[in-house]
Amino acid sequence: MFRNHIKIAFRNVFRNKVNSIINIVGLAIGIAAYLFLLQYITIEKSVNQFHTDISSTYRIMNEGPDGKTWPQVEPGWAPLIKQRVPEVQDYCRFEEGVCQGIVTTDGNATSYREKAIGYAEGNFFDFFTFPLVAGNAKSFNASQVVFISKSTSQKYFGTQDALGKVLTLNNQFGVMPFTIKGVYEDMKDNSDIRYDMLFSLETIKNPANLNENSWAELGNLNSQYIYTYLKLSNTQNIVTTQNKLTALRTELKPDKDGVKFKLQPLANIHLGTSLNDTFQTTGNLKYIYLLTGISMLILVIAWFNYINLATANAIKRAGEIGVRKVIGASRFNIIYQFVIESLLLNGLGFLLAIVLVLLFQPVFNTIINRSLSIQSITSGTAWISGLAILISGAFISGFYPAFTLSKYNPVDTIKGKIKSTTKGLLLRKSLVVSQFTISTVLIIATFIIYMQLHYMQSEALGVNTQQLIVISGPDAGKDSTFKNRSIGFEAQLAQQNFIKAFCFSGSVPSGWYNFTTGGFTQPGSKKGDELKSYSFAIIGDKFLNTYEIKLKAGRNFTPQECNVSWNENSKVMVNETALKQLGFNNAEEALSTKIQWDERELEIIGIVSDYHHTSLQNAIDPIIFYPQNNSAHISVRLTPDNFPKKIAQIESLFKAAFSGNPFEYSFVDDNYNKSYISETQYGNIFTAASLCAIFIACLGLFGLATFTVESRVKEIGIRKVLGASVNNIVTLLSKDFMILVLVALIIATPIGYYLMNKWLKDFAYRIEIPAWIFIVAGMLALLVAALTISYQSIRAAIANPALSIRTD
Amino acid sequence: MIKITNLEKYYRTDEVETVALNKISIEIKQGEFVAVMGPSGCGKSTLLNVLGLLDDADNGSYLFNGTEVIKYNERQRAQIRKQNIGFVFQSFNLIDELSVYENVELPLIYLDVKPSERKTRVEEVLDKMQIMHRKKHFPQQLSGGQQQRVAVARAVVNNPKLILADEPTGNLDSSNGNEVMQLLTDLNEKGTTIIMVTHSEHDSKYSHRIIRMLDGATVTENILM
Repeated sequence: MFRNHIKIAFRNVFRNKVNSIINIVGLAIGIAAYLFLLQYITIEKSVNQFHTDISSTYRIMNEGPDGKTWPQVEPGWAPLIKQRVPEVQDYCRFEEGVCQGIVTTDGNATSYREKAIGYAEGNFFDFFTFPLVAGNAKSFNASQVVFISKSTSQKYFGTQDALGKVLTLNNQFGVMPFTIKGVYEDMKDNSDIRYDMLFSLETIKNPANLNENSWAELGNLNSQYIYTYLKLSNTQNIVTTQNKLTALRTELKPDKDGVKFKLQPLANIHLGTSLNDTFQTTGNLKYIYLLTGISMLILVIAWFNYINLATANAIKRAGEIGVRKVIGASRFNIIYQFVIESLLLNGLGFLLAIVLVLLFQPVFNTIINRSLSIQSITSGTAWISGLAILISGAFISGFYPAFTLSKYNPVDTIKGKIKSTTKGLLLRKSLVVSQFTISTVLIIATFIIYMQLHYMQSEALGVNTQQLIVISGPDAGKDSTFKNRSIGFEAQLAQQNFIKAFCFSGSVPSGWYNFTTGGFTQPGSKKGDELKSYSFAIIGDKFLNTYEIKLKAGRNFTPQECNVSWNENSKVMVNETALKQLGFNNAEEALSTKIQWDERELEIIGIVSDYHHTSLQNAIDPIIFYPQNNSAHISVRLTPDNFPKKIAQIESLFKAAFSGNPFEYSFVDDNYNKSYISETQYGNIFTAASLCAIFIACLGLFGLATFTVESRVKEIGIRKVLGASVNNIVTLLSKDFMILVLVALIIATPIGYYLMNKWLKDFAYRIEIPAWIFIVAGMLALLVAALTISYQSIRAAIANPALSIRTD
Repeated sequence: MIKITNLEKYYRTDEVETVALNKISIEIKQGEFVAVMGPSGCGKSTLLNVLGLLDDADNGSYLFNGTEVIKYNERQRAQIRKQNIGFVFQSFNLIDELSVYENVELPLIYLDVKPSERKTRVEEVLDKMQIMHRKKHFPQQLSGGQQQRVAVARAVVNNPKLILADEPTGNLDSSNGNEVMQLLTDLNEKGTTIIMVTHSEHDSKYSHRIIRMLDGATVTENILM
């Protein structure tokens, strides 16, 4: 029986070529989209799961009174917690960002500015599962020791053995040699903890090694800069443990800030839902939901095609089914046969999907910015449920037509009395409507995403980003001659006629602020105003001029003011947003009133016009500009053209002034654009998805049009004999389908509006959704649908009526 | 073998009710060859469909081999059909996607006959119908007469006790028609009961008995033998 079914299924596939191609291609695209998704989910789900003690490992999070959470806690808590909370067996601390600086080999032979480096607890390599290639995990528990990744070892030493070699780290804690005592396997995509080098935290336990950065002292309970992971002996009562930690914090924390401790399982860190996680990579749950939704919709569109074409063709197959029934087929036999056919088509679609996946893998990887492959799927368990979904989809889409077809009375079927039932027609119509609704929503989404992206990229920033580069300032070699070398470098820059303007600053537009803090009040402040936070930008006197940021009132810093030491300074500038947040009504009031920053009194000397320091996803922050000669960033505006030559010249000046420092630069407009990677990704995904969706939906429409024309050949012939023009016939055949597409547009418009409005809400600056988007998206869908149908209807309309009438 | 009593069948549309079978009573014995004749629309085909359990009746009684089957559901009727009844149609009704061999094999598949036995039986019947040389051909590649022989082969492959033939020669020329009638006669001589609907006086002469129908009822019965 099975063999017979397979045989006839194959013959049907080959006989109804148009039908089969439509189904197989549609299914293949749908399944390919689904397989891509599956790769992504598999990788995302596997993140962090390789740690041996994952079930007992938790991360401490802060939860503010407003419900926001963040993972950086004060370093002093960990040892206290271990002492006071019995279920805490062990802890491990490490940080991200504090350590950054320049790493050089002996004699400055090789030097790189390293970003993915950090200080970590001595037990790090026992606590977490990062296998060592060389060295002993225990040796990390000592001062001035560094462990490096395998590829970092290659970067610095090539094929040489790195063990025992010395790297010099040049960062805010000064210049210090570290001995390499371990090399570990690279921390890959499937880990949220990803470092190229780890320096022993033991090193900064010694206050002498802090370079007067007392905030970093490991016992302190004030500066939140370290990640703290705990291993618990009992994970049954996490809430109880959390409460113990919070009680400890409330008891010992000097300032009562209302922050609570939360424990987040390491297993949930990557796809944590409830915690606003700063520790994630690009992957997050929202993204997974989005991809799941889209790929399932595409797959559903493909399955709808199958149902539509199968039920439409039921009339053609009715005779066969009738005969089978007459000679003894039970209803089950018929259903069985059709399900087998559906499975066969899905199977062929699956094979083609694999080919598509292999072909389009690079494109997909570019879109989502990952390096996935078809092998990614089999590495987890997600493929089991994935396969189950595919099979059940194939089964259900095969079952429905089978069920309806098998219901027919054999006498009617055999005599060809089965005409399209109204119920079947209604079903097909609603499926077409849903297909085009999905497609149109995707088209609308694509338009809106790109419009928002374009808006953000083209909206006036209040900063001139043209021909502006930012060079990472020198970190290494900050000795007694540094100041003079800096002055010399500045003088040389000033002499270059291809440099329009330049400045030194601690923070640059398109980058982040130096820090964010509260504690500001003015005489008119109310209670609670001191909790409002302000962002600090440390700038020199040339900053506003270089970035062409307007001064609204008052004056800029003088070079002398920028030379005053941090604690002596009493002058600041603020932007308009800060002015408002401080509670001033106008610039004059602010310029004539002293403000308090905790104990210090500050004078506002200038009001800076609001500009977008960060990208347009965020609202303009209240900014305090603080005068300092800070060389963290050197911004240079060049004259147009021939950038490589000009930059090379700056590089040689830089290298001469600051030897041992790598020369690294970027364009400010690029930096702004990098903030829109996620929106660009959304745009790409939606473009691909809407193309797939509309393509599959049109395949189905083409199939239905073919079917309609075939079943109306005689009618068309008679109409032509009676005088219908080609136009009349095309209209007659297209009208019904176009009505369906129109209905889809009407349904899609509010759905698209609702969803995209929701999406836009995340942006501080967003477009108003214009009405024409829906019209254009609608016209596009209509046009594509019309073109699809026109081929068949025109062909039918110009056919010789004598022939079609004879056909019966 | 077959006994129907006061069988009624109506066709209803929204407004009109047409009587297709009007309290018809017939008895057909094992081994008979019966022809059913009458003008178009008199209910011949409906009668055949009801007798073949393809269609159900609205009232009356139908004893098939002594069992009341009038209230049987689709599954039970399918069961009786595949074990007892073979059908031959005017338009052959072969499945275009299946070869001659496969068409004939199909009823055996639905009866769960073992593959080896299926092969023997199909080849035996194809041989008997003299279309063995065409077994790999598809229906479209055959002449009308050949197609009808395949249809007969398919109808008899599971050795049914009853063959229902609905104008089996209607689409055939006279020589092919005669061949098919000869096949049916041979089968009847070997014991198969045959009920045949026909318009052809010529064909009806092959039968033992002619039932003439008008407006859903029997009018006369001629016994020819």
